[in-house]
Amino acid sequence: MAEPVSNITAQMPRAKLAGLLLFFLGPAVVIYTLFSIYPLVATMALSTYTSDPSGARSFVGLANFETLLGDALWSKPFWNALGNNLIFFAVHMCMQNPIGIALAGLLSLPGLRLKGFYRTVMFLPTMLSVVIVGFSWNLILSPLWGVAAGALKAVGLGSLFAPWLGLESSALVTLSLISVWQFVGIPMMLIYAALLNIPEELIDAARVDGLGQFRIFFHIKLPLVLPTISLVSVLTFVANFNAFDLIYSVKGALAGPNFATDILGTFFYRTFFGNQLQLGNPTMGAAVATVMFFIILLGLCLYLFLVQRRIRRYAF
Amino acid sequence: MTAEQRAKSLGVHLVLIAYSLLAVGPILLVVMNSFKVRSAIFGSPLAPPDAATFSLVGYEKVFRSSHILTYYSNSLIVTLVSMALVLLFGAMAAWALTEYRFRGSTALALFLSIGIMVPIRLGSVAILNMMRSAGLNDTLTALILVYVAQGLPMSIFILSEFIQQIPRDLRDAARCDGVPETRIFFEVVAPLLRPAIATVAVFTIVPIWNDLWFPLILTSSDSTHTVTLGVQQFLGQYITDWNSVLAALSMAILPVVMIYVILSRQLIAGLTSGAVK
Amino acid sequence: MANLRIEHLNKRYGATTVLKDINLGIEDGEFVVLVGPSGCGKSTLLRMIAGLDGVSSGDIHIAERCVNTLAPAARGIAMVFQSYALYPHMNVRKNMTFGLKFTGVAPAERERRVAEAARMLRLVDLLDRYPRDLSGGQRQRVAIGRAIVRQPAVFLFDEPLSNLDAALRVSTRVEIANLHRVLKATIVYVTHDQVEAMTLADRIVVMNNGRIEQVGKPLDLYYEPANLFVAGFIGSPAMNFFDAKVETIEGGRARVAGAGFLNLDLPAASLKVGDTLTLGVRPEHLVRGVNGPFAAEGIVELVERLGEASFAYLRRVDGRMFVAEVRGRRTPSRGETVTLVAAAPDVHVFDASGIRVAMPIASWSDGAIVQS
Ligand SMILES: Nc1ncnc2c1ncn2[C@@H]1O[C@H](COP(=O)(O)OP(=O)(O)OP(=O)(O)O)[C@@H](O)[C@H]1O
Ligand SMILES: [Mg+2]
Repeated sequence: MAEPVSNITAQMPRAKLAGLLLFFLGPAVVIYTLFSIYPLVATMALSTYTSDPSGARSFVGLANFETLLGDALWSKPFWNALGNNLIFFAVHMCMQNPIGIALAGLLSLPGLRLKGFYRTVMFLPTMLSVVIVGFSWNLILSPLWGVAAGALKAVGLGSLFAPWLGLESSALVTLSLISVWQFVGIPMMLIYAALLNIPEELIDAARVDGLGQFRIFFHIKLPLVLPTISLVSVLTFVANFNAFDLIYSVKGALAGPNFATDILGTFFYRTFFGNQLQLGNPTMGAAVATVMFFIILLGLCLYLFLVQRRIRRYAF
Repeated sequence: MTAEQRAKSLGVHLVLIAYSLLAVGPILLVVMNSFKVRSAIFGSPLAPPDAATFSLVGYEKVFRSSHILTYYSNSLIVTLVSMALVLLFGAMAAWALTEYRFRGSTALALFLSIGIMVPIRLGSVAILNMMRSAGLNDTLTALILVYVAQGLPMSIFILSEFIQQIPRDLRDAARCDGVPETRIFFEVVAPLLRPAIATVAVFTIVPIWNDLWFPLILTSSDSTHTVTLGVQQFLGQYITDWNSVLAALSMAILPVVMIYVILSRQLIAGLTSGAVK
Repeated sequence: MANLRIEHLNKRYGATTVLKDINLGIEDGEFVVLVGPSGCGKSTLLRMIAGLDGVSSGDIHIAERCVNTLAPAARGIAMVFQSYALYPHMNVRKNMTFGLKFTGVAPAERERRVAEAARMLRLVDLLDRYPRDLSGGQRQRVAIGRAIVRQPAVFLFDEPLSNLDAALRVSTRVEIANLHRVLKATIVYVTHDQVEAMTLADRIVVMNNGRIEQVGKPLDLYYEPANLFVAGFIGSPAMNFFDAKVETIEGGRARVAGAGFLNLDLPAASLKVGDTLTLGVRPEHLVRGVNGPFAAEGIVELVERLGEASFAYLRRVDGRMFVAEVRGRRTPSRGETVTLVAAAPDVHVFDASGIRVAMPIASWSDGAIVQS
């Protein structure tokens, strides 16, 4: 439980309080405003400008957004990236929560040995850079090296192997699964912590009432960790809709094959910096970033108003 | 234990071991093969290096053709300085927000929490412009400033929760003792925030070390690349040279794994501590 | 050392007023104990004296100086907290000297004061230990030591003993009493514990619901509680109350009747026919017998045997309970109907608004039970 605050400011002279606030809050507020909030706002402002080849900027209102959503040259890749991003997110939701819950449930079993070891090992991928993880999987799944093919053959499923990362049909889902593999540690840990927070007596009471481990898990523990699961989901949403590193390091800025793995992050990067196929366009880049901002905002609002409200937090 | 219980426990361990293998297998595979000669990498990828297959040729290549040590020192500087500033400024702000009642404190807390949910990446266009016009383009300072701004909201949130757990009596005792407010923070409160460092590290420091985006857009020369970016570029360049690629990956993996293993207890405790519910 | 004066003090949190018009004077060197039920505002009052909570209106004077707007450290107070509030990352010596650094006490003087306090509190061997390596009682002594070295004009204690076990509480209580004798300090002390209040206090302040109900010497509160609240609060088990009504007034005597006790006469004084009263008798003042100015009757439902005495819980004719202390080995048995009597001075009379009515003892219905 949080301790009550002191009411020391009540009899503090105003000037002294102002000095203290300036001292304590000043650095954080200045750096944060200057390098986080201001760039966001400036980017949004920039999205209403256009620049000609000479570099001069002129105000165009919402024209950039009309181009982005209406001009086929722009809208096709945009919708493609958005669609891919939704698939990317959907795979995360379908995989990481169930796996995270299952692992956390196993880890929190009373009297489990080697708990610390399992936790440490299973959380390890989460600590590594996405770049490294992506590239490592790229090698493992490569038909050149043949590790994955060999492994499948060993269990008699050799015919299932395909160069998944190279195929238009499977590259995106494969990348999503790599990302799940890396980040499943976070839902696992947070749910595990939530499970540990459930008082022992509650479980004992259920056991006395004659419930088995499975029933206890589904009827008592799961409802109590639902808030954590929804928090993890919204964190995942935000992370997924500005993901970039994985696709870029495995597939490059062009997010091949044939843009099959293009998501909003890579689309934004290409638009802003350009690539082999097109020149960089800061104002259109700003427009893409602004749209991404509103997508994330929309997601957060949906979460706050639809999910958060219905989910009850239980105090123990 | 009855036979049934034993079977159950065995099943649980089997599942956990299988998943653990899945989690570390790929990493192990990369690191293991980085110490082998090329023919062994392809011939028997699952075998650990032995006297016949051991080779450091990949590492030699990485050291020769990339500035890996510069990348390490850059990453270290950027991460450590950012961490110090995030912790210091974050704790100071968290203290003021939780301890002092003042008009607008709720609004300020809300303002500071925007950054928890809205990724600072979306402001990259303007950040790049700003850094260019301030002459900070391609400097570690630019990275540090951005990372501090990025890390502050979460660290303020986490540290506020920790500060609230510090008994009110303790701060009040210090006030009765005549300790000035700034000293109360630095000499009474700050030393008690040590357990919070692990939590802050997991949520703000690890992402900094691992970040690709900002080094990619803010640094352009080898002398300012971080490990993540440097290795990424190296990989792209030497993609067909498997020894070098595996060695470069391992060199990015190993320091992190070592530090992680040393600190994992604290890190996991930090992650599962009450501060993030 | 200094006196303390509180005038028309109010404390509001938003719309709720937690302290209402507090007036209290404390003499130099006096030991004053604040008691009252949980949430009545004792801690708030203490924290306002310390300067940890702001004053909504009214004044606090320490040593004839208004301290309303002074910072805690400038008020010449020291506070000891229930939770000890020792700095966990400093050893005992550092805990005691830490505050002195900031109030301009020279290092040599700091050492001298610590040495003296340590000797007084038997902390000499513990000076280099950290709080986590101390027992609860030792921690509390360190907290007291930290207060002493500041040489404050007023010591403030907020339930300093309530985290200690029973035996330690008694010994530390004695220690605090000794300290007060040696230091001749002005002390304001908050507690839940009546025994602490009775044994330590020069005067007790009984608070309820943000108000002061009564201020007085411990035995005065016990024998002459100003109102029903104080009567019920001081003493354990609590005083028994009997609702009563004035039936007739004849010859300067008021005939009083009610459920559970035999009718009795009181001096009429200002009483009128139809007035409602409450009679209060402490369990320890009820003795078995048939003759007394006050006699109550009930059926024994439960007997709690404590050793030197037992408490009998009796049900009255109207169904309510009252308690009597029974001395000796022979205790009444369950289901037995018992009559208990009390002497005139031990029967407290309260008027309809709960204020105690002083009764000249002589003019009671001199000992004869008036049968109804
Ligand atoms: N910051 C605050 N905001 C609102 N109400 C408060 C605040 N602090 C205290 N109160 C209220 O003031 C009243 C008095 O509290 P206080 O702590 O003084 O009681 P107390 O007599 O010390 O109780 P206890 O014996 O339990 O310690 C309580 O009803 C409490 O709820
Ligand atoms: Mg209190």
